[in-house]
Amino acid sequence: MKKQYRARKRVPRTSGRETNGRRTRGNARFAWTGWDLLNGDVVPSLTVVLTTKGCSWARREGCTMCGYIIDSNPDAQASDIQKQFHEVIAHYGKAFKIVKIFTSGSFLDQSEVPIDVRDAILSELKGTPKVIVESRPEFVTPEICDDIFRINEHVEVAIGLETSNDCIRNNYINKGFSFRDFVRASEAAHANGFTVKAYLLLKPPFLTEREALEDALRSVRDAAPHADTISLNVCNVQKGTLVEALWKKGLYRPPWLWSAVEVLKGTHETATVICDPVGGGTRRGPHNCWRCDREVVAEIKEFSLSQNSASFTATCIDQMLWEYVLEFEEFSYGVPLVP
Amino acid sequence: MTRLFEVTHRDGAARLGKLSWRGEELLTPHSFESKEELQFLKELTIHKAEIDVTVIAAQEGTSAEQVDADVVVLAGAARFRDDPRGLTKALLEARALANPDSALYVPALATPTNVSLLVYAGVDLVDTVMAEVKAREGYFLDADGERRFDEVSRRPCFCNACNGATMSELSFEHRVTLASDHNKKALKAELNKIAENVERGTLRELVEGRCRAAPGLTALLRLLDNEYSYFERRSPIVRKATLLACSQESLNRPDVRRFSERVIERLRRRDGILLLLPCSARKPYSRSRSHRIILARLDKLRQYLNEAIITSPIGVVPRSLEIMYPASNYDIPVTGTWTCDEREWVTERLTHYLSTNAFESVVAHVSGPYRQICDAAAASLGIEVVHTVNDENILSSASLQRLSAVAHELIDACSPARRDLRFDYIRDLADFQFGPHASEAIFPEIPKIRGLFPTYYASDRGRRIATITGTYQTLALTIEGAGRYLRAREGSYCVQIDDFQPKGTVFAIGVLSADPGIRPFDEVIVVNDRVIAVGRALMSGWEMQASKRGGAVVVRHMGSR
Repeated sequence: MKKQYRARKRVPRTSGRETNGRRTRGNARFAWTGWDLLNGDVVPSLTVVLTTKGCSWARREGCTMCGYIIDSNPDAQASDIQKQFHEVIAHYGKAFKIVKIFTSGSFLDQSEVPIDVRDAILSELKGTPKVIVESRPEFVTPEICDDIFRINEHVEVAIGLETSNDCIRNNYINKGFSFRDFVRASEAAHANGFTVKAYLLLKPPFLTEREALEDALRSVRDAAPHADTISLNVCNVQKGTLVEALWKKGLYRPPWLWSAVEVLKGTHETATVICDPVGGGTRRGPHNCWRCDREVVAEIKEFSLSQNSASFTATCIDQMLWEYVLEFEEFSYGVPLVP
Repeated sequence: MTRLFEVTHRDGAARLGKLSWRGEELLTPHSFESKEELQFLKELTIHKAEIDVTVIAAQEGTSAEQVDADVVVLAGAARFRDDPRGLTKALLEARALANPDSALYVPALATPTNVSLLVYAGVDLVDTVMAEVKAREGYFLDADGERRFDEVSRRPCFCNACNGATMSELSFEHRVTLASDHNKKALKAELNKIAENVERGTLRELVEGRCRAAPGLTALLRLLDNEYSYFERRSPIVRKATLLACSQESLNRPDVRRFSERVIERLRRRDGILLLLPCSARKPYSRSRSHRIILARLDKLRQYLNEAIITSPIGVVPRSLEIMYPASNYDIPVTGTWTCDEREWVTERLTHYLSTNAFESVVAHVSGPYRQICDAAAASLGIEVVHTVNDENILSSASLQRLSAVAHELIDACSPARRDLRFDYIRDLADFQFGPHASEAIFPEIPKIRGLFPTYYASDRGRRIATITGTYQTLALTIEGAGRYLRAREGSYCVQIDDFQPKGTVFAIGVLSADPGIRPFDEVIVVNDRVIAVGRALMSGWEMQASKRGGAVVVRHMGSR
């Protein structure tokens, strides 16, 4: 009981991204520094989350697990976005090997980030070895890639593929694009020499633990040829989402950390798979039995930097339970066996 | 279309049944154990091969159509494992959606501790998934609760899973293996015990004991008790086993509540003099030492009095209904002190009884808590109760002297009509079983009563009309009696059957329509255009109409219309 109480207090606030560094609240929604992998080396990175008017898809439809739209500002002007960026750069400087520009939407969407703002930010970061921006695939067109390439050559486009299974992506996540769209976007980015990162979602709603695990394993294999890095997003329960409504009714449980470990172990030879289990060890985040959570979260983070499966040494008495859940959860007809 | 499941025994909402399952006969309540069986069942929900398995979801406020399948799966029931309110709602909703002769399967929820409550609420099929999960969470399960592994310091049980094991020496993995085997066996053993209790009609007693294991289970039972009409519709009107009122929840038993409601709603309005007496350990009361002494003292005066017995948990029992279940056989812990709940409930019942009848005077030959209850009821109505017992035993000669003096005095004062007490038994049973004023329809004139207590029988001009049966002490009508009732009350307590001669057992498939008010073990009238028969119901009227399988009525006599 005591443990659960503590866990409740550590509910992840908003960010679904790598948060392995210090966080400061600037004018930008969030910015923090950390360590990331660049061509096999661990390098310092800066993450900037810009408050825009929000993801265009979320404004129209929205994905079942994504609550970032809450952090958007419908009145955000072009100048605001630029100002946020400048404040962060003024605070942290530019001496990072990796800078990630996140908007909780699509950086390449002109309706979200006007072209001149986009170009200004990218040209400012010309000297950075890698600039990572996020976008839905419909904005990763040959034309836009061409335009960007003229300003900055070191861009990595991160796309929320979530799963390679179109049925799961569109019915359970409501993502609204197909695997073909992702492949097309990836080709466009690669054609300009950009790198591509694919986000995969471990355990969309309506899947059992086993189905989720198998879907993630398969998705890594399917996405690997089209992505340079794969980031495994372990689903957490965000405010105001369908996933949260299901979770409150006992119809959804975030995945086990063991499942994330299983995916990483099973695929690290296929691709570079990184993972930051946001909210790991909390009720809203991926968790095991609370005894081993902290240790397993640490191991997952360590693996993300080392890509060495020898990182995984933890064992716990709840593994038998997790194995049983994998095998028998389907017989509960739609609800998690263990809270 | 339901073909493969048949209910064989009922005890309230709980049932025993037979399910044809892959060439063999599964006796329910049953627990699915192997993954292969669970897989098989799950596949049936998609391609309904030999067995029709339909999944329904536990959702708030679904108003879907009735599901007519062999097996109905209550999907996602496991999410209510710590939510008795949600579970109550879901179970009742599922039972309302499922046809009465569909087996209800509640997946991944049953443990040895809660399965008796699940069956009590109307579940037929469960599985061992939650018992296995609990083992892996580190719990040892028994019918009377769960224990963490580290709380098990002595050999937990003597089943062959636990054979020779010393818990403290085992690793966690070993304990899990042991516990998962033990938990499954405990579930099986509990299911057997449940089945035996359903056969005897005593599941309620088992459940009242089991629910002590955890507050959540007690809450579940109390919440289920709030659903009075759900259980009342399914409760038999009589049973052979003794009602054991050992807990606070016993006051809310559907059979107790129904009895006391019928006393008020169905019996004729009385007037004249009421004599209140305390209950006795021996049943029927008039066979007890105390009542025999009191009644012997009153002797012929009794013909001018109305007697009623005050008791917990039933409330008020008119003398004539002392032979009817549950007044005829119940037992309570006797300590001399009554709990507040008991006092409140009995006072409320007595107040109700006094206010619906029109007694001119009330005499109470009671002492102790009974006296306080009488006073409380009288005070709330603003009437006066004549007490004939002071600070003494109710059997003391002084108090008995006083009682007969008071009775004489009151009878002289208001000169009530003289009644045949034996006819009282028959007449009140008729009203109690067949509804208000039924006795007036069946006995327009006072019939001749014969027979020994309690199996009196009534005849009119040499024709038998009704008999109190020996087994359950219900009033059984003859064809003559049934004809009289039928003429006055077309349709009520009536089972309309297809055009055939009812002999032995009438099956549900042959029932065209039935009075929804019929309860298991009710005396009913079976009719079609040509014949009229009487018999005892095996299931509720609404169930006869909805079911396609199982016996509906055991016919006793048949005659032509």
